[in-house]
Amino acid sequence: MMDAGRHPNITLMTYSEVEEVSGYIGQFKVKVRQRPRYVDMDLCTGCGACVEACVFKKGVPNEFDEGLSRRKGVYIPMNGQGVPMKAVIDEDACLFLHRGKCVKKCMDACPTNAIDFDQKERLVDLEVGSIVVATGFDKFDAARLSAYSWGKSPNIIDGLQFERLSSATGPTKGEILTAEGIKPSRVAIIHCVGSRDENANRYCSRVCCMYALKHAHLVRDKTGAEVFEFYMDIRAFGKGYEEFYERVQEEGVYFVRGRGAEIVVLENGKLQIKAEDTTLGIPVAIDVDMAILATAMEPQTDADHVAALFGLSRSADGFFQEAHPKLRPFHTNTDGVFLAGTCQSPKDVPDTVAHANAAAAEALVILDRGEVLISPTTAMVVEERCVGCGDCVLVCPYSAISLLNSKAHLNSALCKGCGTCVATCPSGAIEALHFTDQQIVAEIEGVLAWQ
Amino acid sequence: MAVEEFEPRIVAFMCNWCTYAGADNAGVARLESPANILPIRVMCSGRISPELVLRTFREGADGVLVMGCHLGDCHYSSGNHRTIKRIPLLKSLLGFAGINPERLQLEWVSAAEGPRFTQVTKAFVERVRTLGPLSEEVAA
Amino acid sequence: MNEQPVPSIIEAIRQTVAERLQELDGVVALRRSSEGVAPHVFQQGDDLSELEIVPRYPLTTVVSRLHKSFPEIRLGIVARGCDERAFVEMAKRNQIDPDRLFILGIACTAEEAEECHCAAPFPKHLVVGKPVAPGSPNPVVAEYDNTPLAKRNAFWRRQFAKCIKCYGCRNICPECFCEDCAMEDPAWVEPGLLAPPFPVFHLIRAMHMASRCVACRQCDLTCPAHIPLTVLYDLMRRDMEATLGYIPGEDIKAPPPLSVTLNEAPLLVNTGHMD
Repeated sequence: MMDAGRHPNITLMTYSEVEEVSGYIGQFKVKVRQRPRYVDMDLCTGCGACVEACVFKKGVPNEFDEGLSRRKGVYIPMNGQGVPMKAVIDEDACLFLHRGKCVKKCMDACPTNAIDFDQKERLVDLEVGSIVVATGFDKFDAARLSAYSWGKSPNIIDGLQFERLSSATGPTKGEILTAEGIKPSRVAIIHCVGSRDENANRYCSRVCCMYALKHAHLVRDKTGAEVFEFYMDIRAFGKGYEEFYERVQEEGVYFVRGRGAEIVVLENGKLQIKAEDTTLGIPVAIDVDMAILATAMEPQTDADHVAALFGLSRSADGFFQEAHPKLRPFHTNTDGVFLAGTCQSPKDVPDTVAHANAAAAEALVILDRGEVLISPTTAMVVEERCVGCGDCVLVCPYSAISLLNSKAHLNSALCKGCGTCVATCPSGAIEALHFTDQQIVAEIEGVLAWQ
Repeated sequence: MAVEEFEPRIVAFMCNWCTYAGADNAGVARLESPANILPIRVMCSGRISPELVLRTFREGADGVLVMGCHLGDCHYSSGNHRTIKRIPLLKSLLGFAGINPERLQLEWVSAAEGPRFTQVTKAFVERVRTLGPLSEEVAA
Repeated sequence: MNEQPVPSIIEAIRQTVAERLQELDGVVALRRSSEGVAPHVFQQGDDLSELEIVPRYPLTTVVSRLHKSFPEIRLGIVARGCDERAFVEMAKRNQIDPDRLFILGIACTAEEAEECHCAAPFPKHLVVGKPVAPGSPNPVVAEYDNTPLAKRNAFWRRQFAKCIKCYGCRNICPECFCEDCAMEDPAWVEPGLLAPPFPVFHLIRAMHMASRCVACRQCDLTCPAHIPLTVLYDLMRRDMEATLGYIPGEDIKAPPPLSVTLNEAPLLVNTGHMD
């Protein structure tokens, strides 16, 4: 992240959103709305004095700690380790911006006068040759499955929250503690919460088995607590993964083969995990101090909007659709727009790095080559025949056709030459070069000369 | 009196990326496909309009095979989505009009399915053989 | 007893048109003149006693041309159920602008519904008349599944042999809007040849009509050879509904199912190719 922040050819536009995308490969025009940080990025040194001085002591839930801690109205993202390491003022939390009432101690504290409450948002127009969409994933909201009693006990947490507990920069400085502040003596880890589930997502979220094993290992290591893993299958598919699974088993973690079915919050505050142990064929109920839910990876809630912006399709599972699941997993059907990371499908770090590297390489090839190779068998509109019905626009998998002045207009840079529009047009107003109707009819006549 | 066995003429439209490659795969593996199959290559099965199929029957084909990639594998992502809607509809229409709908068949054959190509084509040729020449079905 | 006489449908629609003409640029309807009955754009000041509603004539093409020639014009139209359905399909294909068309719907009579075997003899925007029950289904269509292939074959061979390629069916169809018609394309239909043994002419039209036919029956009524074309189109419509859940003219938001992907308009029936 720091390398990206420092690289002379990379401009980080933080607190920004893409508003509009037009154009096509080699010549995209992107409009970006950059929201005001209320901090001058050139003057801010990331010293954190403003954060110390901020009077909003109660603060708001800290999203970086997954709600397990709080932060003030002004903060340095990622618990002080964000890139760029500069302060930002959250206009929904800041007492001055939100309620108009504050003595603004932050401004007094800042040694470089970097705080500027008059900062306005700006609209930036970019001209780019290629686009990489790396918008990531969202966590499954465990409240959707009421059996897990999400929200009914502070000791029912999800995988990312556990990561924060375990992190040295987290709310407990890396100690695994229950909400009561003591080490747990028994922890349950429940796999497939929201994954492989008809009532939630049918797909497997790929990463959870391995991080669940990691969490089990960390709990054993840091607390010595008993750990019960409730699983359906253990998916240890990667390099060194199976070996790690064996190691965790040897560390004395109990593996219960049966989907964690229900969590009951008992009177004494403990959590009772109910499941069927399918290897023994008996139902089990195990009381624990802490339950970690391995929740599904889902597409972002605004995936619809992002897909519409960039002309992306979505697969049946809601993630952005790749051009081909095996051979082109980081291309999209829109030339020049690529996918990187979990916005395309659940993946772990090594897979994401490979995916993103590939997308970056493809994005650069376009710029380096300076020209785009197109199929020779592209379609061609015969304007006199076109009555503007728009069926061709609906049919094109590459959005290569649009209606202009009630006539079909083809962008041959995007056309791949499949010919589906040709077969769809009722007026014969589109032809497929090298595969015209006349040519195919000639072939039909030719082959049927055989007796 | 010896009767010449009816050799049906089957025009097979094959998509370039899957079926045509699959047919090639069959040939390379020296698997035998019936000579009754008269191939016509197109880039995508989505290119096959009802007009083309009907013209093929009009020219005297006894059977028409439309072949392309399996769903989800289309080289152009969703060309075969239109094929899977059009061809069964055209089949129904032939049946409504009193022409045996079994003369038109939609099949997915991928580039690696050489054996499937020969199996599908052999079965179709035999089926059309039992149906007899198209000319007898539509003769005035 | 002071009972007002119930106005007949024709009187009621003339009254409605008179009222609406105050805010619209024109109302498209049929007009009786000394030469007969023909489409007309009634404007304020016209003699509305000349407005007729029979014989039926599909006015969609008239509206389409007017909308295209006059991009600002706001029109009303006297429309039956099938007309309204035709507008929906034409709107989906950008041939009419639904925001500039005001439907003055009239219900068909029970006799008319029966004559057309109509399943919905009234428009959704009904202004004059009361909806009647649907007509009984066409017995030929109802019995079709039990009719063996050989019988169907003989039936259609006889019917299509009568065709003189007058193009009446295509000309009168409220859904046909192409300037260059596939049925006149020499690649598909040989010029100068009547009734070839393989009925490409009729089958192309049936395929093009599959997602558009609104069962107005005009093609049947127009055909000088009395070919029962709508039997074929009714069967296609039945197939469209069964396999794709699509009824032409029903929902202006439903995209043409044959043009969109399986995600947007899935197949409801397994045709054996879903692998």
